[in-house]
Amino acid sequence: MARRAVSAPPHSGPVGPPRLVVVQCPDWSVVAAGAAPSEPAAVLHANRVVARTPAAAAAGVRQGHRRREAQRICPDLRIIDHDPARDGREFEAAVRSVASMVPRMETTEPGMFTFTAKGPARYFGGEHAMALRVGELIAESVPVLDAWMLGIGIGDGRFTAGVAARDSARHSARRADQQPTIIDPGIDATRAYLAPLSVATLRDVGGLSAELVDLLQRLGLRTLGGLAALPAPDVLARFGAPGAFAHRIAGGGDDRPPGSATAPPDLLVARTFDDPVRMLDPLVFTAKQLAQELHELLAANGRVCTRLAILAETEQDERSEHLWYRPSGLSASAIVERVRWQLDGWIRQPGGLSGGVVMLRLTPDEVCADDGSQLGFWGGRTEADEWAVRAVSRVAGLVGEQQVLVPVWRGGRLPGDTYQWVSIDRVELGTDHPTGVAAAAADRLQVDDVPWSGQLPAPSPSTVLVEALPAEVLGATGEMVRVNGRGLLSDVPDTVSVDGGAVQLITAWAGPWPLDERWWDAATHRRLARFQLTTERGTACLAVVENQQWWITAIY
Amino acid sequence: METGVGAHPGQGDPGARPERGSVHERRERLSKLVPKIGPVTFARERLLPVDPALEALFPDAGLIRGSVVGCQGPTALAVALALVAGASAAGSWLGVVGVPALGLRAASEVGVALDRLVMVAEPARDLGEESWANVISALIDGFDLVVMRADVRAGTARRLQARLQARGAVLVLIGDPGPFACDIALTCRRGEWEGLGQGSGRLERRRLMVTAQGRRLARERGVDVWLPGATGRIEPIGPDEQSSGADVAAMLRRTG
Repeated sequence: MARRAVSAPPHSGPVGPPRLVVVQCPDWSVVAAGAAPSEPAAVLHANRVVARTPAAAAAGVRQGHRRREAQRICPDLRIIDHDPARDGREFEAAVRSVASMVPRMETTEPGMFTFTAKGPARYFGGEHAMALRVGELIAESVPVLDAWMLGIGIGDGRFTAGVAARDSARHSARRADQQPTIIDPGIDATRAYLAPLSVATLRDVGGLSAELVDLLQRLGLRTLGGLAALPAPDVLARFGAPGAFAHRIAGGGDDRPPGSATAPPDLLVARTFDDPVRMLDPLVFTAKQLAQELHELLAANGRVCTRLAILAETEQDERSEHLWYRPSGLSASAIVERVRWQLDGWIRQPGGLSGGVVMLRLTPDEVCADDGSQLGFWGGRTEADEWAVRAVSRVAGLVGEQQVLVPVWRGGRLPGDTYQWVSIDRVELGTDHPTGVAAAAADRLQVDDVPWSGQLPAPSPSTVLVEALPAEVLGATGEMVRVNGRGLLSDVPDTVSVDGGAVQLITAWAGPWPLDERWWDAATHRRLARFQLTTERGTACLAVVENQQWWITAIY
Repeated sequence: METGVGAHPGQGDPGARPERGSVHERRERLSKLVPKIGPVTFARERLLPVDPALEALFPDAGLIRGSVVGCQGPTALAVALALVAGASAAGSWLGVVGVPALGLRAASEVGVALDRLVMVAEPARDLGEESWANVISALIDGFDLVVMRADVRAGTARRLQARLQARGAVLVLIGDPGPFACDIALTCRRGEWEGLGQGSGRLERRRLMVTAQGRRLARERGVDVWLPGATGRIEPIGPDEQSSGADVAAMLRRTG
């Protein structure tokens, strides 16, 4: 960890990437929900685990598990609903604790922030000491958080530091001891660190598209080192601008998004209140107008804001100022969401504020060329699209982005798997770009060329139950119908009773159609048999048998 | 054009008609008529298309903008999807409020354009009646079609219905229409499935009877359709497959 003189090689530009610290809490959502590390608990969003406590992780619960899978692996798991507003609000305390010693820190999302290493490292006597101190500060400010649940990475540039933070989070969690990962400064050390990593890191940490990563992998470029070793002009010629960017960051080069620049200093929007405001809602309402104004100002120049400073001041001169960063650009609704997170935590801080807010200001710090696609020749975007997009942002402002859902194609063999509802903060909706909506929709609904073998053919059930209903299917003898390992039935299904309801005769049935999914992964492996049943009341449903238990999963 | 605009028959010497005038004057006279005949649009001209199989249920063979359609019965969701599929495919946006169980694959099979489909999740309902009404209003403002359950208060329903007429959207209600006054009320019966045997075959298609009642329908109308048909789309039942009136009556008795 000895410091060496940094000489910037010619291809990384005149100034090498700045030395940054990335602090990340991968399971921030459960921490924000107040779950103790020793309690098995998980936060679910759209029926999938997004965060879990160390106790749940030890039991085998992973991100991406379905509710039922997670509960099967860990029966006493406490399920917590996903609430981004809570995540943002609770994170404010952690940010405040570190902001007292670190200037200009920027939050990427609740659970992750970045700051420059140089000043604080000197103050605390070295990067390692500083990283440990930062971990302690955060752990002190959040009651249920232990420092080892954090990942702290220090490296040259945002990408390297981000990868280091992810590494650190894994190591720390495994040993239950905070261990920052510090990459030596200099392009050579950075390159040597990144070289053996998979190109999937570009997607997970660098935010590059999954298609590009997939393409690289299929071409045999599996490591960042392999990609970095290619000549830059060839990469640009073959993969275009995203490829050139991927090549640059894989080689430890400048990782600012292409086309980014410091915002002109006079570009800001602000509102002063004659009457001090003490409630959150009017502030958020004002923020909506400001965000819209700012977005239009930037859009007129073909730009989008990637780093934004949100400042609020009270009449007693209390200030809350944060930098927010989003590499893909902050849309108007994303700005409003961040104002809400920041101010909610600030207003509710212990002790509260001594006065009302008199000023709210949004200052773009870094802007980036908005690479939205050009208007199409034919039709492109209709007036109906225009109206609908406006309505979507309005509704998202009213109920929060996470409550507005759009379908996404996922593929799968069960009716609930093929398409899934995903909240609009998880997908690129393209609402910020004039023609992005249709392109983004085509992107997320892109169907695989290869059909999923084993999928039941059309027609599909019109009702797919969010939570499958337990059922009892009995044979003519009154015994439960079982399916053995070879897919043979113990008896002909005769009656069904759904969720303890009345017993109904089965008028027709077909099956079992066995399904053995993801047998290569013990944690997500599912083995089940599917049936179609019609009952005496004329209802047709899709039933599955899993672990000798019948479930009704969909109704036709 | 021998006779001018203002020519009256039997007015004596046709060559000396004073109102004939120059082209310019005639244009002048015509332009006064323009505002009188221009902007009249009848409600039935503001239509959203429906699938031909369901056209017979509607007096104007389409969904009139600003109207409320109720779908009741055990297959309400399937019929509602088939109802909005025509307009959705033609470019309209569809907003769904709090129906998380909506089968997306079935929706896409019946012809709903998934790229123009947005849902507001159920937990947003906890915001309270006022905010919830604002959410639905915002959807009505921007979307041609809104599908929801009628779980709002009477005052909210009146407000939404007024908004609907101003914006020209169509509201499709699933289940009991509650406080809403439906222009067309559809009853979606259970129907009969084909293709499934005793341990063999698979669900192939469902024969379904949908009946409509409404203020502008003198008497109840009904159509017999395949919903879903073999491909998942709605299909009319051809004349050779058409059952006699007695059959339908018997089926209705059976399936209620």
